[in-house]
Amino acid sequence: IASYGFHPLACKVNIQCTEPTLTDNASDWARLSLELKRTLPVDKPLGISLSVLQTLPEILRQAHWDLSITLTDLESGYTVLRVEPANTRPAYGIAIDIGTTTVVVYLVDLTTGKIVDKQGSYNKQAQYGDDVISRIVYAVDAPENLKEIQNAVVGTLNVLIDDILKRQALQPQDIAAAMVAGNTTMSQLFLGIDPRYIRLEPYIPTMNAIPAAQAREIGLRLHPEALVHTFPSVASYVGGDIVSGTLATDLTNSEEIILFIDIGTNGEIVLGNHDWLVSCACSAGPCFEGGGILFGMRAMPGAIERVDIDTESLEVKLKVIGKIPPIGICGSGLVDCIAKLRKAGIIDRAGNFQTEHPSQSPRIRITADNKEFVLAWAHQAGGDKDVVITENDVKNLIRAKGAIYAGIRSLMQAVAIEIDMIDRIVIGGGFGNYLNIHDSVEIGLLPDLPQEKFEFIGNSSVKGARLTLLSQRAWNEALELARKMTYIELSVGTTFMDEFVSALFLPHTDLSLFPSVEGKV
Amino acid sequence: MALTGLEIYKQLPKKNCGECGTPTCLAFAMALASGKGALDACPYVTDEARENLDSASAPPIKSIKFGNGSVLGDETVLFRHDKTFYHPTTLLVEISDALSDDDIQAKLDEINGLEFDRVGLHYSIDGVAILETSGDPDRFAKVVAQIAAGTDRSLLLLSENVEALKAALPSVAARKPLIGSATEANYESVVNLAKEHSVPVIIKAEGIEALNTLVESAQKLGYKEFVLDPGTRNPSQTLANLTHLRRLAIKKKYRPFGYPVIAFTSKAEPLAEIAEASVYVSKYASAVVLKASAKAHVLPLMALRQNLYTDPQKPIQVEPILHSVGEVNENSPVYVTTNFSLTYYSVEGEVEASKIPSYILPIDTDGTSVLTAYAAGKYEPEKIADALEKSGVAEKVNHRNLIIPGYVAVISGKLQEVSGWKVIVGPRDSSGIITFTRAM
Repeated sequence: IASYGFHPLACKVNIQCTEPTLTDNASDWARLSLELKRTLPVDKPLGISLSVLQTLPEILRQAHWDLSITLTDLESGYTVLRVEPANTRPAYGIAIDIGTTTVVVYLVDLTTGKIVDKQGSYNKQAQYGDDVISRIVYAVDAPENLKEIQNAVVGTLNVLIDDILKRQALQPQDIAAAMVAGNTTMSQLFLGIDPRYIRLEPYIPTMNAIPAAQAREIGLRLHPEALVHTFPSVASYVGGDIVSGTLATDLTNSEEIILFIDIGTNGEIVLGNHDWLVSCACSAGPCFEGGGILFGMRAMPGAIERVDIDTESLEVKLKVIGKIPPIGICGSGLVDCIAKLRKAGIIDRAGNFQTEHPSQSPRIRITADNKEFVLAWAHQAGGDKDVVITENDVKNLIRAKGAIYAGIRSLMQAVAIEIDMIDRIVIGGGFGNYLNIHDSVEIGLLPDLPQEKFEFIGNSSVKGARLTLLSQRAWNEALELARKMTYIELSVGTTFMDEFVSALFLPHTDLSLFPSVEGKV
Repeated sequence: MALTGLEIYKQLPKKNCGECGTPTCLAFAMALASGKGALDACPYVTDEARENLDSASAPPIKSIKFGNGSVLGDETVLFRHDKTFYHPTTLLVEISDALSDDDIQAKLDEINGLEFDRVGLHYSIDGVAILETSGDPDRFAKVVAQIAAGTDRSLLLLSENVEALKAALPSVAARKPLIGSATEANYESVVNLAKEHSVPVIIKAEGIEALNTLVESAQKLGYKEFVLDPGTRNPSQTLANLTHLRRLAIKKKYRPFGYPVIAFTSKAEPLAEIAEASVYVSKYASAVVLKASAKAHVLPLMALRQNLYTDPQKPIQVEPILHSVGEVNENSPVYVTTNFSLTYYSVEGEVEASKIPSYILPIDTDGTSVLTAYAAGKYEPEKIADALEKSGVAEKVNHRNLIIPGYVAVISGKLQEVSGWKVIVGPRDSSGIITFTRAM
């Protein structure tokens, strides 16, 4: 907020109007607007909707002309949302991150800017597909499906909002503004816009800058006329969540060159500074969230998050979330595991299991059609099976890390800059909370730069949403950011594919890119 | 040195208005840097920026057009993998005016017949080089007229005798032939003649240094439609000169050499001559003049030209036709995958290891992997059914079982319906193929 100034998209003011008399017979609205204009800090057009006007005369008199007025506050003008007897309750807004898998809502006090409450859950659209592609396929399969899939996400949000309102003893009318950030597909499905052409070549979204809608048009249980703002997208696979996240990294105020990576299924990457910006989506796949891995799981109790393998005996030390017997392995554990398998000589640089390992450890199990390493025996594990990592898992992970690294290199090539010109690397996404930088560099997921250049930002999307809810200038900056962010289509040309193939090695085909690792393997 | 996208971007208005057809100023700058756009597309660029960018982004080698669609020059790299070679070498076959009229006609007929259709592509010879060896301007003019009447291909009028060129050129000037050669002795008259008729002209000198001097003198005549000929007539020296000229033009932006280059073969024996011409086609000659005109000799040269000038900036793909692994028979299983080479070879490797002779049909997905293609709507049941039918595999096997990748199990029902084949969902990863085939 510091760099943008506090100026929420909705506000609440208390005013005392004079009562009408025979000699002062101005209309109710004239009386109200005169007093508002005196009180509000900025002089700009002031409006009111019919529905508020319809109940206005009674409220004014019941309140004895001592009033609290909630208004939306946009550059184009003020609109009166709500008139009530004077009170000291603040106006609230909500910041929403619609993730493909999880949805997060922050309740924000618009007078102090503080986060009052937060709530998250799984996106109920999951019943129509785990990923954006299958949801697009579903949404366009039959005419009624789009509405259905829109209702699923709106329903998810309403449950979260209801929970928060109940907890805070608030009414839907108390929420005067909403800011929504999601990827392009999520944004279009949330607004009920046909997503068909997002996935078809040449991959065109319906629009990037999205006009604000009223909560009742969408069916969100807020003040019915509260404006719901949706973050603008850049392209089909770089959406409002990334614009929001980029804003949250403060990249647009930075002279320094920042690399912002959302390590997740879509693998969006942004590179730039206050002057220029490029972005791409490198489709890393669900590996880092545990998808496509035999014992893969999300980072939750029972997930192996760190692995140590003795290079002689191949005995294993595990760190498990919640300190309970392991039932699977999460993204950070996988990154660690690959690095250690390589160090112990169990796999080669291409991820192939070595059939003859000097240790003769029973943990390495190689048959004609299966190659795996036992991380935890069944009797130590929380389930009834040995927890293993297979050659297939290793190769899946190598492809995922290869895609991210190739995406980074492709962006650097697009603007012709070298790795040491990058001043800061900001890692976002749920996974980012658990990632070990050292391991990530060792397997070639992240560029070989000093540890102090890396920082984690967590759910940057909802952070950016809160920021814009609280600052008109930040919101304008977000709109401008989306317009100037240059999307690099990785499927055009051979750069990405060449980089991808070169990155399918541990850590890379070109060891000179990883000087800190080179001497060790 | 060419400007990078970021350097060009600094000079642009940064309005991100999209009026140039690209969504952002930086995207436009990157298109300019890679030679894919023109600065004129931006309506807001300042005059100052235009001046800076025009000189910096001017093509290192001038584009020279002549005859029937022949384009020479306008190249930007020394190696095709750095970007691409843009304008395929113009191939011309020479005819001397000293031949008899009948021989000329026979040769011309042969040249006109040099048309090939191969792997879906059409090749043809671009033009005829008419050599004045008779010493008689009238004879040259007559032969030029005869050849012009007998072909619509591009023409090159070649004589160092100004009188011969003056006699021959007017009647064919409308077809914009290339003329030559301007030498140290005659360049003023020849270049002025070219200028008068607005046709491009060959500047010929013995060796690089002499050529440099001659180009600089010729430029002073106020004409710049030049094609260079470094004069050498043996392969190794010509190769050296072609390389020097291209390097100086591109790496040093040396303006006097910023023109396309023409090469002439020296070998008399056709096979040796084609080998020699192959070197010139590979090494930067924008036009090559040949003696050979037999189909058998010229076809491989044209195939080489075609291969060299394809755009290497395409995904790595295998041919989307039916492939077989091992000694296939009528019981061999049929796998479908995509034509992305990494995907295809993952499948092929495992199928080979299964030791069961099999067919693999890679679907043309523009070189994308199975899930990528599915996500982008390029791996639809209708498309697979269509490819299956076109592949002719139905005549090769006596079963109707099709194995599809496990990751696209969702298309199996529809595919079965539209193809009429029984669709078997294979393992998700190709590494499961061995186990899968054993279980079958």
